[in-house]
Amino acid sequence: MSLLFRSKKPEQGAKVAQITGVRRFIMFIVSNIQQAVGSLGELWRTPFASLMTIAVLGLSLTLPATLYVVVKNSQAIGAQWDNPAEITVFLDKQMSPQQVQTFARRVELMDAVASVQHISRDEALREFREYSGFGSAIDYLDSNPLPDVLIVTPVREYSASNRASQLQRELAGESGVTEAKLDQDWIERLHALIRLIEDALGALALLLCVAVVLIVGNTIRLGILNRRDEIRVMKLVGATDGYIQRPFLYTGAWYGIIGGLIAWCATFVLIWWIRAAVLRVTELYDSQFRLQGLSFNELLVLWAIAISLGLLGSWIAVRRHVAAIEPR
Amino acid sequence: MIKFEQVSKTYPGGFQALNQVNFHLRAGELAFLTGHSGAGKSTLLRLIALMERPTVGRVMINGHDLRKIKRGQIPYVRRDIGMIFQDHRLLMDKTVFDNVALPLLIEGYTHKEAAKRVSASLEKVGLGGKERHYPIMLSGGEQQRVGIARAIVNKPPLLLADEPTGNLDPKLSMDIMRLFESFNSVGISVLIASHDLGLIARMRYRTLTLKEGRMIDDGLAHHEADANQFGGGA
Repeated sequence: MSLLFRSKKPEQGAKVAQITGVRRFIMFIVSNIQQAVGSLGELWRTPFASLMTIAVLGLSLTLPATLYVVVKNSQAIGAQWDNPAEITVFLDKQMSPQQVQTFARRVELMDAVASVQHISRDEALREFREYSGFGSAIDYLDSNPLPDVLIVTPVREYSASNRASQLQRELAGESGVTEAKLDQDWIERLHALIRLIEDALGALALLLCVAVVLIVGNTIRLGILNRRDEIRVMKLVGATDGYIQRPFLYTGAWYGIIGGLIAWCATFVLIWWIRAAVLRVTELYDSQFRLQGLSFNELLVLWAIAISLGLLGSWIAVRRHVAAIEPR
Repeated sequence: MIKFEQVSKTYPGGFQALNQVNFHLRAGELAFLTGHSGAGKSTLLRLIALMERPTVGRVMINGHDLRKIKRGQIPYVRRDIGMIFQDHRLLMDKTVFDNVALPLLIEGYTHKEAAKRVSASLEKVGLGGKERHYPIMLSGGEQQRVGIARAIVNKPPLLLADEPTGNLDPKLSMDIMRLFESFNSVGISVLIASHDLGLIARMRYRTLTLKEGRMIDDGLAHHEADANQFGGGA
């Protein structure tokens, strides 16, 4: 692509080299592949320095990825407990078992109620002794401090928040009821908590991503400055900024590709690590819960994020520094 | 080929390297540019290769005003200009082949074609078969010739040389000059900056002389006579 000698032939001899457009395009692809492979080779020649940057990239993404898994699972738990809302009715301790039975049956017959589960005082105490760890301390009590409890599940139409609280008020008004609690409160609190964790996670992930971009950018910058003389010579013989930039951009992409793989592995290890602990917690809650890891799509997204961060970091570095190096 | 019109160059800080320089180098011409160190020889060559921009005035190559060349177009201009430096500017960690092939690979030649041209180019400067050597294994004169091979490998219509014989003994210097002469004989325009007046005198070509940034002699007066005599030059 001769600029000055394009239209006219030089008056004498010297033939200007010409390459056709198609060939130029094919060679552009070929040289891209060569530069991509060359960049990988460059990483291979300086394994320690490259691995440091790659590890930072990978491990920085591991934390948000793991937290994401945790949030995803807590959302799943939240969804499990979302519907239908249950109303816990605490009964007066003075009531006889007979009275409690009658009351339970009466509640069960209400239109809004789907089912009633009765937990007697003795049952509650046994359960409490078993799970709380206060077993022997409870033996010192003179009497059972726990009341009878009815767990009332509203019919589907009454499980929505406002209807359920209407039912809750109704039940609270019954004689012999000390308190009726709509179990939606703690679900709302759980959701609020999950949202809080989500927001914190978002901010944390953003910060870590910015850090990754800066670190990759700085590594690439050092690489550019190391090859300053070579870049000057290349510019002297007619290399465009684009041509000079490409190997560095590929280096950034490789950082992302390999760093993404490291993030996968580290996330797997971390999730495997906390899985045992989560299992113990869910056993206590008598839940069928299983910790979900990253799905295939989520792994791909994680990889794509790693690669784009690597590219972005190197792009920022080359934009600033390749153009600034001029032949002397 | 190259035309300077009232060109001045003042560097940041106020040093005036060139002061209202006018000259015209015709296509297919070989000329020397001489003057003391600091007279502005390098600056003049740098203006042609767009490594600097003139403060005022106009530089033309092949009828194109270099002021109209945008930053992004500069690489394409440089592909038409072979440049040779005193310190030859080779990449020491790359083989002779990789050094000479660099301009071709940048322009998008296949490896096979590049290999053909590189070996032809090395042959021309008398370094045939040294493709696999590293510059460090070569003598100063040979390194300089690798630099020349790199400058001519994509057959540019214009060659600029900045003190190409600065580090060489008289015999090697003469060899290098004969090389430039041979390139000129196939139609390449050549401009050589040198302060080796003895060598220049023996070559009998047009000589432009700079002194403190002014062109005190554009060599035309003597040269016209020579040209008539030898039938060369313009």
